[in-house]
Amino acid sequence: MRIDKTHDVIIVGSGVVGSSIAYHLSERKKHSILLIDKGFPLSGTSGSTQAWVWVHSKVPSWYGELSLYSAELYPFLERKIGDVEYKRTGGIAPFFTEAEKEKALKLAEKQAEVGIDIEVLSRDEVLEKEPYLSPNIAGATFSKIDGNVNPFRLVELYIKSAKKNDVQTSFYNQVISIQKNGDIFHLETLKGTFKTKKLVIAGGPWSKELGEMLNVNIPIKQVRGQILITEPLQPFLKHTIGGVRQADNGEVLIGYSKEEVGYDRRTTLDIVQQTAKMAIDFIPHLRRANVVRSFAGIRVIPLDGFPIIGEIPEVEGAYIAAMHSGVTLSPLVGTLLTELLIDGETSIDLSRYSLERFNESNIKSI
Amino acid sequence: MDKSTIVCRCEEINIDEIENALKNGAQTFDDIKRLTRTGMGSCQSKVCLHPVREIIADYHNKDLQDVGISRMRIPLKPIRMGTLATESKDSNVASVFGESVEEGDENR
Ligand SMILES: Cc1cc2nc3c(=O)[nH]c(=O)nc-3n(C[C@H](O)[C@H](O)[C@H](O)COP(=O)(O)OP(=O)(O)OC[C@H]3O[C@@H](n4cnc5c(N)ncnc54)[C@H](O)[C@@H]3O)c2cc1C
Ligand code: FES
Repeated sequence: MRIDKTHDVIIVGSGVVGSSIAYHLSERKKHSILLIDKGFPLSGTSGSTQAWVWVHSKVPSWYGELSLYSAELYPFLERKIGDVEYKRTGGIAPFFTEAEKEKALKLAEKQAEVGIDIEVLSRDEVLEKEPYLSPNIAGATFSKIDGNVNPFRLVELYIKSAKKNDVQTSFYNQVISIQKNGDIFHLETLKGTFKTKKLVIAGGPWSKELGEMLNVNIPIKQVRGQILITEPLQPFLKHTIGGVRQADNGEVLIGYSKEEVGYDRRTTLDIVQQTAKMAIDFIPHLRRANVVRSFAGIRVIPLDGFPIIGEIPEVEGAYIAAMHSGVTLSPLVGTLLTELLIDGETSIDLSRYSLERFNESNIKSI
Repeated sequence: MDKSTIVCRCEEINIDEIENALKNGAQTFDDIKRLTRTGMGSCQSKVCLHPVREIIADYHNKDLQDVGISRMRIPLKPIRMGTLATESKDSNVASVFGESVEEGDENR
């Protein structure tokens, strides 16, 4: 790669979000694109995720709608980039008290307005779908749209397909500082200076640090999640269940913990024990299953919970994509940023997702 | 050694697949693990960690001691879910359904 060349677009971060943007942009064959990562793809949050493609319980309904559109892109994406093991299993979110049924009905009504079909199932109906779920549940919400994907295959194939379309990559290359001279960004990295006309920040849990290089505050927090993995078990769970799913190889992944401990990817015994209890509360038979491994990942959670997608106000030519549920949202986010960078407008109005919503004073000084 | 020699028995990964990951820029055991599933099998890399480290060392012309090991995590030996769940007190574990209805909840 010629280092003195000016790229049209540099994307910083090659997790599921950055690599999807690189791939979708490259499909149009308009830009020379460079994808930079300080580690190797999947070394960030995208390599330690549950990878549900999950829609039905995302509220308010406009956020559910965004997730729906993205989930609907998966089958076509798979046609284009290859087998990412996307499975639309249907999703079940159990509840444990009768009182929650009212809320479930209200959720179904709200989500129907944007085209998300939810059935509120009685205990018996749930057990018919998933006989191993605990008889202590009171019911569940169910939607056919939910599923899961193999996040390793997904990121690998985004990158492979992007490379086929001439995207260049530079891994194990940390961006250390960013200057803007006229219209051109100069990125100081471990492997030299790179220049670009447009810059996309897709740094996941490191978005704040990258924002600071542009003197912009990116309001996200880091929330750790710990997951348990069992030995391979005979296939016995058909659906993606809020908190539990069985992978193709028979392993069951369990977890839904949340702790704000900064970028600390250790697993801890207390959470591991609580997660084991949750597993048994949901599926009593798991009591006898062997746990072979745990892992932890750091969620990227914007302060109001919703994705930050779009231009960075007042830094012309710079864009950001930082969000939780990036696996679910990646096909749509890649598509929308491509529209924004190439056409200048998007098929879905992004103003709700703009960084600007956090306040006018997010620009410290420039 | 023949390139089709299996180095990760649990996940049936051969030398060729490991070298392919290295050619694609992987540097650490964990990079290779996420691309190929090497080390994710039932023995949790107890068998394949060292052979794979040797392949990494060869490929990058490094000393074996400069090739790090995988991150080790609880449980180091398989343990029954029921055994783990004892002593668990209240909880940082949330409910997916619960979050869909709590007004103003942040973590969606
Ligand atoms: C336990 C857990 C469960 C989850 N479950 C789900 C789920 O079921 N469904 C779902 O949709 N989402 C889920 N998520 C969320 C999802 O995994 C994330 O939203 C997604 O992985 C974020 O992707 P990303 O590309 O933004 O971040 P990352 O994958 O972290 O990528 C960011 C990249 O930027 C690079 N980078 C950072 N700083 C620099 C720098 N200075 N220079 C160069 N490179 C840099 C990093 O090395 C990294 O590779 C879960 C998350 C966790 C932790
Ligand atoms: S031999 Fe590789 S995981 Fe067991």
